[in-house]
Amino acid sequence: MRVKVWGARGSVPAPGPETVRYGGNTSCVEITLSDGTLLALDAGTGIRSMGLALGERGRRINILLTHLHMDHIQGLMFFAPAFNPTAEMVIWGPEAADASLRDRIARYISAPLSPVEVRELPCNVSFNEAPHSEWRIGSATVRAASVTHRGPTLGYRVTEGDVSLCYIPDHEPALGANLERDDPEWISGFNLAQGATVLLHDGQYTSAEYPSRTGWGHSKLSDALAFARRVETERLVVFHHDPLHSDDMLDALQGSAMERWAELGGEPTGLEFAAERRELVIDRAPR
Amino acid sequence: MAEAQRPVELILARSLIDTLSTPGFLVDEEGIVVFFNDAASVLLGVRFEEVGRMGPERWSTEFGPFDEAGERVPPEDLPLTIALRHGRPSTARFRIHSLKGTEHEIEAAAVPIMTVGGTSGAMVFFWTLEES
Repeated sequence: MRVKVWGARGSVPAPGPETVRYGGNTSCVEITLSDGTLLALDAGTGIRSMGLALGERGRRINILLTHLHMDHIQGLMFFAPAFNPTAEMVIWGPEAADASLRDRIARYISAPLSPVEVRELPCNVSFNEAPHSEWRIGSATVRAASVTHRGPTLGYRVTEGDVSLCYIPDHEPALGANLERDDPEWISGFNLAQGATVLLHDGQYTSAEYPSRTGWGHSKLSDALAFARRVETERLVVFHHDPLHSDDMLDALQGSAMERWAELGGEPTGLEFAAERRELVIDRAPR
Repeated sequence: MAEAQRPVELILARSLIDTLSTPGFLVDEEGIVVFFNDAASVLLGVRFEEVGRMGPERWSTEFGPFDEAGERVPPEDLPLTIALRHGRPSTARFRIHSLKGTEHEIEAAAVPIMTVGGTSGAMVFFWTLEES
């Protein structure tokens, strides 16, 4: 399984000289399975660059949306395969009580927010509410689970052979829970992430920022580390960087996170901060 | 062995109930009491950590509820049952016993936890009307 980060920023794009190393594009991760099947995790602004890079590979793609906040769908309107009449795009996302996935996405891809309507997209696009049980996409099995965030929100786990990637970019599992002591059944996302080879997880806030943002659906960094250790993932990739966090600040946060990670018993190679264009090959020994 | 993962709605409901000073209970979709808070433990005379999760039979044996004549209230008449089976809020008055020998007349309100996938449980709150 090959993974490439196209956007790791949370909330809103943050371009500029202060964010060139970690990147300013919002959530999007490309996965290429061993059989060539292409997936995109979320469609934040990072998916625009991904679409331009795909070329012919973009003829068929599954897009797994965790939820429909703008930083996870804004790039859909600028995704090159969506405007290719020979391309097939399958979009998965959370179900909701008020409307279908298609109709909820159409609230963005429609006037006055967009010059194009969903029905006018030239590609062959379909919309599917994520099933409650595992399903197959290409050579992988995919599992979705609702997680603690604002509004209907999913995390995903993509498993191919004996390796797995778990993606929970917007997640506040410590809201009302003790990540170190509570039984796993009461920790949001636990089963989904348990034992994952690689976990991409929300670590948006510092401990100083979190008290004024509690309940917004995101984790402080120390909670992301605690969650990752509790679920015994092999590698944590901290994701959904706050738009106010510059490269220098993220470097500093990564340094302190490494110290905390070691205190929790984590291997030094088991922690990194997501950066745009970062590529991972996930096999038994992630590198 | 770890229990199966609870639905996120139950996880959030448990967090809410845990922070309230109103006696509150969380029940899963099968009617099992999977949590009650410290305020409820005052009424029941026992903490949740001491008794753990309880099915309807055990709950009924240890705490009631009973009507004014001292007869057990049929399960189908309980707000909890109505909330789970019919997916709507329900209230009722009845009496319960605590493990410390006290008896309380309470008003109970049960609210189903509805999701797009159906009913995943219910929250039940007690208000004490009289204590003896």
